Amino acid sequence: MLKEGVTEILKIITFFLTMLFIPLIPWTEETSKLLPRKIHGYKPHGKVETYNRQTIYEYMDGAGEIYLAYGFKELLVQRYQKVGEPEIIVEIFDMVSGKDAFGVFTHVQGRDDKEAGIGQNSEYRGGLLTFWKGRFFVSILTKAETVKAKRAVLEIGRTISKGIGIDGEKSGLLNYIREEDFFPKEIRYFHTHAILNYHYYLSGENILNLDEDTDAVLARYKDDGGYLLLVEYKKEEDARKALNNFINAYMPEITEKGIVQTEDGRWTVATAKQNFVIIVLDAITQIQASSKLEAIKGKLK
Amino acid sequence: MRRKIITRRDFFKAGVALTVTMGFPFELKAERKKTRAVLIRDPDVIDRRGRLNARIIQQMLDKAITALFDKEDPMIESGVWRLLFKPSDTVGIKSNVWGPLPTPREVEDVLKSRIMDAGVPEGNIGIDDRGVLKNRIFLTSTALVNVRPLRTHHWAGVGGCIKNYIMFTPWPPFYHPDSCADLGAIWKLPIVKDKTRLNILLLLTPLFHGIGPHHFDTTYTWQYKGILIGTDPVSVDAVGLRILELKRLSYFGKEIPLKPPAKHIFVADVKYKLGTSNLREIELLKLGWMEDALI
Repeated sequence: MLKEGVTEILKIITFFLTMLFIPLIPWTEETSKLLPRKIHGYKPHGKVETYNRQTIYEYMDGAGEIYLAYGFKELLVQRYQKVGEPEIIVEIFDMVSGKDAFGVFTHVQGRDDKEAGIGQNSEYRGGLLTFWKGRFFVSILTKAETVKAKRAVLEIGRTISKGIGIDGEKSGLLNYIREEDFFPKEIRYFHTHAILNYHYYLSGENILNLDEDTDAVLARYKDDGGYLLLVEYKKEEDARKALNNFINAYMPEITEKGIVQTEDGRWTVATAKQNFVIIVLDAITQIQASSKLEAIKGKLK
Repeated sequence: MRRKIITRRDFFKAGVALTVTMGFPFELKAERKKTRAVLIRDPDVIDRRGRLNARIIQQMLDKAITALFDKEDPMIESGVWRLLFKPSDTVGIKSNVWGPLPTPREVEDVLKSRIMDAGVPEGNIGIDDRGVLKNRIFLTSTALVNVRPLRTHHWAGVGGCIKNYIMFTPWPPFYHPDSCADLGAIWKLPIVKDKTRLNILLLLTPLFHGIGPHHFDTTYTWQYKGILIGTDPVSVDAVGLRILELKRLSYFGKEIPLKPPAKHIFVADVKYKLGTSNLREIELLKLGWMEDALI
């Protein structure tokens, strides 16, 4: 009992320290200090480049849209070179919050099943390391994967992660799902319609009224390959409106139970509770769809 | 009357798998005149060390353009290029600088050289990608050549000729919602409208799979050693997309759908009338080495 109490107090202290520290980390100058000066013979080459929400397209076309769909603030880029080895490009994205750093990571995850053990979650494959920690999403890429370049990529990642220090908070929406029910690499946290459509094409139009103020989780069930879409709106009224919009556009023939069988033979069910909309998509049976919906509904207090 | 909203279910109703990129829930007009695209391949265009052979690239382009315009004598050096460009033209070569898979310098040099052979002064030829809106040549151009490598793309499904013009917009995000579906609209902007003389999709070492914004993984490139050209960017992209799909099928042993689907190619056809995306309406001429050509 005492141990639990101490743990809770420590959690609260950590939370307040996090809140205290995170906004105080000044951008660029402090962030560039996270970059190692030399790792396994690799040294920084050229100046540190920085990009913001307006200029990110000067650095990356198309892919910039992903970061803009989250709370992206600024990007720092540093190149590293070593004679006889491929170049390494380090990108540190300030996503403002841990939630959005985590969100970007969940959007890009799925390249490999293995955890690289860097930051709060990470992946390494084919010369590219991605991880998130604190309010940062970090990407480290070597243009060709040699043994030495891979070693340097991972070591640069560890150094940056250590420098960031403080962990970030994931979205509270994850508390409403049992993560073991879902494919771990297919749990996505996001805000906007564009990211939803990327992972699950629902409609060319924003029929759920998603925007930067909505929090959403899309997760794929292990048992039948169907999906859970859970959206948190600012207000209860917003959730009701979004549900009505969704029903009108996507399931106009809805039954009293709020369920329809779609043209692929699968089942979709939707409801709203408080300021949440819960949708179970592509369940194999009507019963499965309903029971999954009820399970999530029961967790919303 | 309420406007119809297209949803996932409309794809099912139309009888097409959502993830199969060749399907789109609108009817394409039948009986159109076939559009032509030319695929040329050469086993020696890349050497054992991965270096490009500029001389072979020039030969491939000369032959492909000769076939594209139904000319019979490719031996008349640069003759076919004079059909495309006048000495009075100002020509922008819209390249692509994407780090892991850029338009190779060798290809840019060959194009510039051939355009000069057609009589265009060197000072009236520009090569650019991200700076096109600040480049005097592009701002005053009378002709454009669109050239880039084919690859899968994290946000658009594939990066091809249609997408290569995104840098002609002052604010790219405007065209990015819904996985770049409306990229075809860019081709109606005054800075590019009706100026493109040639679309060149490089399939030298295409990228056929990737995950994440960086998207590049050498595991998923292969030496196809091909160049695909046409005057219609939609048909060139549609053929390129088909080759990527067939490569994915061959590599993975099953259909792994592109994520997201490259629907901008079909939207460019059905909504923006930019060209032809239906493979049945494309006359594909195949020249040169065809081992493992897939298509």
